[in-house]
Amino acid sequence: MKKVLTIILLTIVMLNGQTPSAETILKKIDENMISKNQIMTSSMIIHGRRVSRTIRAKSWSIGDTKNFTEYLSPAREKGTKMLKLDDKLWIYTPSTDRIIKISGHMLRQSVMGSDLSYEDMMESSDLTNSYDAKVIGSEEIDGKQCWIINLVGKTDDLAYHQRKIWVDMKLYVPLREELFAKSGKLLKRMELKNIINIDGRWYPTKMIFKDVLKNGEGTEFVIDEIKFDQNIPKYKFSKAGLRR
Amino acid sequence: MLSLKLAYKNLIGAGLRTWLNVIVLSFSFVIIIWNKGLLNGWNEQAKRDMIDWQIGGGQYWQKDYDPYDMFTINESHSVIPDGISDDIQNGLLTPILINTATIYPEGRMQNVLLKGILPEQKILKLPTDKLQKNSDEISILIGSRMAESNKLQVGDYFTIRWRDANGTFDAADAKVVDIFHTNVPIVDQGKIWLSLEQLQKMLQAPNEATMLITENNSVEKEEISGWVFRGHDYLLKEMDNLIKMKSVGGSIFYGILLALALLAIFDTQILSIFRRQKEIGTEIALGMTRWQVVRLFTVEGAMYSVFAAILAAIYGIPLLTWQAKVGLAMPEGTDDYGLPIAKSIFPSYSIGLVIGTVLTIFIATVIVSYLPAKKISKMNPTDAIKGKIQ
Amino acid sequence: MIKFLLKGLIRDRHRSLFPILSISIGVTLTVLLQSWITGYLGDIIDYNARFSTGHVKVITKAKYDNSQQMANDLAIVGTNKLTENLDEEFPEITWIKRIRFAGLLDIPDENGETKTQGPVIGWGVNMLSKKNSDIERMNIRKSLQDGKLPTKRGEILISDELAGKLKVGVGDNATFLGSTMYGSMAMQNFVISGTVHFGSMALDKGAIIVDFNDAQTALNMENATSEILGYLPSGDYDNEIAHNYADKFNKKYSNSEDEFSPIMITLSEQNGLDAMLEYVSSFIGIIIFVFVLAMSIVLWNMGLIGGLRRYGEVGLRLAIGENKGTVYRRMIYESVLIGIFGSLLGTMIGLGFAYLLQTKGIDLSSMMQNSSMMMPTVVKAKITSTTFFIGFIPGLFSTIVGTMLAGIGIYKRETAQLFRELDV
Repeated sequence: MKKVLTIILLTIVMLNGQTPSAETILKKIDENMISKNQIMTSSMIIHGRRVSRTIRAKSWSIGDTKNFTEYLSPAREKGTKMLKLDDKLWIYTPSTDRIIKISGHMLRQSVMGSDLSYEDMMESSDLTNSYDAKVIGSEEIDGKQCWIINLVGKTDDLAYHQRKIWVDMKLYVPLREELFAKSGKLLKRMELKNIINIDGRWYPTKMIFKDVLKNGEGTEFVIDEIKFDQNIPKYKFSKAGLRR
Repeated sequence: MLSLKLAYKNLIGAGLRTWLNVIVLSFSFVIIIWNKGLLNGWNEQAKRDMIDWQIGGGQYWQKDYDPYDMFTINESHSVIPDGISDDIQNGLLTPILINTATIYPEGRMQNVLLKGILPEQKILKLPTDKLQKNSDEISILIGSRMAESNKLQVGDYFTIRWRDANGTFDAADAKVVDIFHTNVPIVDQGKIWLSLEQLQKMLQAPNEATMLITENNSVEKEEISGWVFRGHDYLLKEMDNLIKMKSVGGSIFYGILLALALLAIFDTQILSIFRRQKEIGTEIALGMTRWQVVRLFTVEGAMYSVFAAILAAIYGIPLLTWQAKVGLAMPEGTDDYGLPIAKSIFPSYSIGLVIGTVLTIFIATVIVSYLPAKKISKMNPTDAIKGKIQ
Repeated sequence: MIKFLLKGLIRDRHRSLFPILSISIGVTLTVLLQSWITGYLGDIIDYNARFSTGHVKVITKAKYDNSQQMANDLAIVGTNKLTENLDEEFPEITWIKRIRFAGLLDIPDENGETKTQGPVIGWGVNMLSKKNSDIERMNIRKSLQDGKLPTKRGEILISDELAGKLKVGVGDNATFLGSTMYGSMAMQNFVISGTVHFGSMALDKGAIIVDFNDAQTALNMENATSEILGYLPSGDYDNEIAHNYADKFNKKYSNSEDEFSPIMITLSEQNGLDAMLEYVSSFIGIIIFVFVLAMSIVLWNMGLIGGLRRYGEVGLRLAIGENKGTVYRRMIYESVLIGIFGSLLGTMIGLGFAYLLQTKGIDLSSMMQNSSMMMPTVVKAKITSTTFFIGFIPGLFSTIVGTMLAGIGIYKRETAQLFRELDV
């Protein structure tokens, strides 16, 4: 009996010793995933009640403050551009030749009919500054051991007061993220899959985003191609770039 | 005086014919008064319903509040001014806090407005006392239309998702504690009522409100800085317009009804002048001037309306009183107008309405009685006395 | 014999002209009242039919189950073929496609960037082609405040209050921003061709009207529509006929397995109008009953008076050997003739007035605070099948009854007494 107890105690001590702090994990994620800039071609598959649609887009981004997205297909969407600078968002369509600012409540609308809002898309990923993070356990997802990090908002002005992130223990890639209401009710869930190595980084190339309160299959997001640390011309991140 | 007596005797002497005319004319009286009363009743009822359920004695709107702009509604609340807390305590004012939210009954997404109201308020007829105070559970009230379109029943739970004043998402399950029936669709469709305190807590907006509803009988409407007062003239404008239109449309109907009665009198006058030529000739021969005879016949005609008024009073008063008591059943569901129509409308008759109707009919009768009688003044008395047709 | 009676009637003006005139006036009034009260009380139903329910309406089953939803994700697709079929199978019904939508109207500055913007709700209705135009049905022409109706694609009307709020006017550009029926972004440029006043606060705050085809293009609804409204050929809602159409359509096209299959619903199945319909028809029934009763008394009274007046003549005729029955019958035949003439004449005059009141109506807008608006301010009469025969009840029936009653006197009195009444 005594022996068993000793083993258990030892295991706990060992585990504690092995558990990195949440900050460390989040830092490692950033090291793995965040680059100076990135250029990405992606497809968004939106499962509507009636039909499913695939929207392809190419985007250029620097950190998460500057982003320029150009839609490639379907034909109706082709040429539509979106520019995000900090917390501002503009949209341009060639058919109207208009640059329209999306502000206030428009930001809360769904993007292209998906389960994501403009706001979800624009959210800063600088989690360490906004949230108090804590490792609260571990779990296996698709055969991969993950740390579960619980994040609780430091300030009152965050869209989601609480999040949980499941991080692959080996690759330091998030495999699942859940977003909670202040009351603790689960609102949205993101699953990240198909992790591949690109230029030495481990990157999930498929994401499934789901509003859990709502019926439906959610939205899939697939990265077709991604390049890091490229030369991006400055005009891309200006309003003038929308018309080019 | 003589002509009055004579006219009375002539009419009574004519027997059935007189009474038929009188009956028809009395129909006009009763139907016109009934119809106008009904319209008045609807007007009063609709306004009373709106006052009772929605607008009270007028509303103070937070200066940014625009009920038709869903995009700014969440930014349109502020702290309830200190100076009016007594009024709230005394039931002269009740604050309402409004915020947009999304509900998910059975996973179907639907946008709604959350309306926070004091459970103890008495200004609006909403059964707010059913809202539980000091409960962790969110208890809500909805209207019957809302319940039906979302297939909700008392005791059902569903998820509400909203964003607090800082924009943070929050969500919780709410329980339907009561479903109310109202004739005012605007407080029903797409609205969820819950306790003010609860909503303030949910929104992180302590002591804030979007509007203050005044008690209907409170006379003084002081200015409150940062709030705009919207009185009945503003809030009931659409209703007023509709009623005005209905009442003008109704007068055509009264016109036709009156024309019917007047036709009866006109016919009778023409025939009686024709039949009583000999009498007319004799009267002139006996020394009455032509105009005296014309007056006699006019008075005779006008007396129909007096008799009709009396007859109308005899059967009309009990009938109309009964109608005012039991009301007239009305259908529900005229929501595209968005105006309240009660299940029953109770006609409301005013003295002005009755006197106005009686006077109008009287004057009209005098005119139609005079027109055929005028012919007498052109008669040749010798021929008349012979009964020769002229 | 009819010829003989007619001659008698025509020669004695007092026996023909005067009663016919009175009957015609009475019948005219009856016809007028019936059509007026039907139009006046039915206007709530008519208004609903014009603006939202149609007499019948085709939508998807999913939309029917979730009627609150304004979004077009539940719209009907394949409508080109469907309307073709509808036109073919129900050619007597006028089929109208409409799109309802919501979004933002954005006004550009000189650089094409956002100057002002505001939320709007919109209608996509046919305004450009003459066929099936909604301009009259929705009272758009009259509600125009400034500018003109759209004459080509890309032109829109916006509510006057919205124009004020966004600081735009006729000729200015505006961009609509919303979602397509699939949820993608919809962005479309328009030129404001005019401003309108709806007369309802909610719509005046922010409503726009665009041409149907423009709405289809903007919302990616080519070959799709929110709803197809059908209007019966008579122009009036008839519950039975509407239900027959709906049953026929649903048997063929509706599929309970497929939530996007079309379903046809009648006016009475929408907005709780079934109760309203019942109410209106029973209310109209009561009023018409009372009126016809009163009018019958008036005309009966006249028949009676007319009969009494002729006692002298009757006495003379009896004295020269006609028997009572013949005199009595002839009097009744006369009254039938007079009744038919009077009723025909009255019905024609009444229909004339009713038609005038139905097409022109009585415009009450000058009495409103806002002089022209989309909400109905013109009260109109409505001619129904009843209008054509209602006048004959008092006109023919009561006249005959009146004469019959007056004639009873012939049997009661002695010939000598009747004769004496002639007494010249």
